Amino acid sequence: MRAGIFSVQGIVLFAGFIGFGGLIRDVGFPLGAALLSTILVWALPAQLLIVGGFAAGSPAPVIALAVGLSSVRFFPIVASLMPMIRGKSGLGTQLYASHFIAVSAWVESIRLIPALPVYARMPFFLGLSNLFLWGSVATTIVGYLLAGTLPQALANGLVFLTPISFLLQLVRNARDLVDRLALVFGLALTPVFAQFGGSLDLLWIGAIAGGAAYAIGRWRRART
Amino acid sequence: MSLSDPMLYAYLLVILAGFLPTDVFRFAAVLFARRLDEDSEVLVLVRAVATALLAGVIARLVLFPTGDLAGVPLWIRLSTIAVGVAGYFLFRKSVLAGVVVAEIVIVGGAIYFR
Repeated sequence: MRAGIFSVQGIVLFAGFIGFGGLIRDVGFPLGAALLSTILVWALPAQLLIVGGFAAGSPAPVIALAVGLSSVRFFPIVASLMPMIRGKSGLGTQLYASHFIAVSAWVESIRLIPALPVYARMPFFLGLSNLFLWGSVATTIVGYLLAGTLPQALANGLVFLTPISFLLQLVRNARDLVDRLALVFGLALTPVFAQFGGSLDLLWIGAIAGGAAYAIGRWRRART
Repeated sequence: MSLSDPMLYAYLLVILAGFLPTDVFRFAAVLFARRLDEDSEVLVLVRAVATALLAGVIARLVLFPTGDLAGVPLWIRLSTIAVGVAGYFLFRKSVLAGVVVAEIVIVGGAIYFR
């Protein structure tokens, strides 16, 4: 419990869902469907695409495609975390647990889980991520009720919580050369790919920046 | 209620255009990782890709914000990042301290320069 409630990640996550709650009220998206999206989708960027697409009147297949593209990033995130947390759990439990893996739970788990004995990792992960998910459902409602009452500068600060806290947590979690290079390359390549990468730019950034970081790390290891 | 009912349509959108295209990748990753060991070489690469992807998401939020944040000048957004990172290292690698000083800069900047 303490790990979830008092982590910077928890605070920022909930702030993000307060923003989401404010947004849905703004565009006339039903609160019930928004809460369902927090439970079933559990990925704020994808949820923003749904609500944004709904507001813009985009066709459903286009929204589904955009959501799919934004959610491809879960593939490396889930694939890198699951071997750490699964212990001896069966496939069913792993599939169930994978639904709760989002960026917030990944950042906290990658940091906290290596210190835990293997048998305790899955229960810890499910406890932490359920706390995050249901806390986010509650804060979506809070944001919906708060909407429009915040002054503009504070609203800007609320939106900025997400990038600054994620960045600092990536800096903290970067344990070795490969992690640090992946972080720096990913940041540096973003303006380049935003120009030329089209709607797939994030995937290109992940593949090229991550691949280059890995290759350099491997080369360095081979030399020593 | 019919399909053209915007309320019902929102719920269908969440399930068909949100839940399905998201969890298909989560489930595929579980199946992919089944045969991988916790410290296998492939996972070093996978982790690097995940880190770079997230770095890309962060940089996009700062450089190309959508919505109201776009009204805050770029130099303030970049200064906020610089101050946040500096604060993190100055306060003995405290994420919370870095976030707090960054928030002071962005809210102050939004008050005075937008």
